[in-house]
Amino acid sequence: MDNLDYMDSYFNSEASLAKKVEFEKKIAEDPAFAEELAFYLSVKQLAREQSEEKKKRFKELYEQYKQEGHSTRQITLVRKFWPYLAAAAIIAGIFFGMHVFFKPASPQQLADKYVQEHFQTLGVTMGDKEDSLQAGLRWYNEGRLNEALVQFESIANRDASSFEAKKYLGIVYLRLEQYDKAISCFLQLEKYTQLYANPGKLYLALTLLKRNQPGDKQQAKDLLQQVLQFDLEGKETAKQLLNKW
Amino acid sequence: MPLHTIPPQTADEEILNNLLQEGIDRKRGEEQLFSKYAYFIQQAMHKYSFQEEDAFTIYADTIISAIPKIVDGSFQRRSSLKTWLYQIFHNKCVDLVRKNATNKRSVNRTTSISDIFLNLADSARSVVQEMMDRTDRDLIKQRLNEIGENCRQILSQWAEGFSDKEIAATLEYKTADVVKTSRLRCLDKLRQLYKVNTK
Repeated sequence: MDNLDYMDSYFNSEASLAKKVEFEKKIAEDPAFAEELAFYLSVKQLAREQSEEKKKRFKELYEQYKQEGHSTRQITLVRKFWPYLAAAAIIAGIFFGMHVFFKPASPQQLADKYVQEHFQTLGVTMGDKEDSLQAGLRWYNEGRLNEALVQFESIANRDASSFEAKKYLGIVYLRLEQYDKAISCFLQLEKYTQLYANPGKLYLALTLLKRNQPGDKQQAKDLLQQVLQFDLEGKETAKQLLNKW
Repeated sequence: MPLHTIPPQTADEEILNNLLQEGIDRKRGEEQLFSKYAYFIQQAMHKYSFQEEDAFTIYADTIISAIPKIVDGSFQRRSSLKTWLYQIFHNKCVDLVRKNATNKRSVNRTTSISDIFLNLADSARSVVQEMMDRTDRDLIKQRLNEIGENCRQILSQWAEGFSDKEIAATLEYKTADVVKTSRLRCLDKLRQLYKVNTK
């Protein structure tokens, strides 16, 4: 142990010339000391080799780790561009949000809106005596659509000249999403050319937009253009819808 | 399973169990441990702007110093393996940052064997070299594996050129003097073990 301590101190400090001479003399004259020094140095060399061997093994593992897709470059590149990626994601999110939430309404959506706003309730004539048409409107406004339907159908069958019955019947069919029947009603309504205000073409266009079958949209557009062109009932609505085309 | 195809994501429990075994299982555990947290290297490169080689060396040193602690039970599982390893790794990173900042890197390294030889007179050098050539290297290697993890670790660090002060910091010894005493005792113990077989 003393020799080890002596060697250790010698190697771990700046040895003076005198100490160096003394150390070398001890190597030459004391075989036990020389042997111990050889052992000391051999251990240091072997321990270092072992440690380096382990590090070499780890180095190989690390290279393999990188090759398996844990690439340093890949990670550092992602980190390097992270602020830009984040900014791009935020911008994309804003555009997506605008597209979803602030998307201009389509003609179909406007048609939905119109139906919601205008066909939820219908105007009832105030008076002491309630006729069958008023009864139908009352049921309609109470949400009793099927009863209103029977009522308006009955009036329309009884009186072919009752354009109001045709109009309300078409509206009930539209609310009940029976678009073909609604279209049939509005086509008939459209033919009442003597009326001062006939919304037939507008209602027909709205129903076609709601049905949305192939060709319906174009047909609705043509009808709306006619409403505008001939200054028919619902001109403003037609204008709004056409602006969204 | 061949060692080189070990998946990086092995459960900590399996890694710890393997490390507590001997031979091939220990080796597998070492490699599993290394692979699982190898991403620390990239983190250090990013966080401390280290070169990859430096970050790798720190990480490898972390694993090398962690293994004996796991084996001898010093790692008591009060925190997760990852947290514990990262603490060691982080401390080593901070050490390197300080060394880089004060430009003291490698100042404390002890003399290498080649330096020792170069400084000896020819006659002394040839005497020592001749004796080293006669040393049974395989037997020393074998004995190095028998002296216990702590001794092996301390000698390994010393052989790599770390000063006693650095070893104290890495292996959590109280002072450099304690390291020196322990290191010399380990060398002496190793020598005694070696002598038993060479007599």
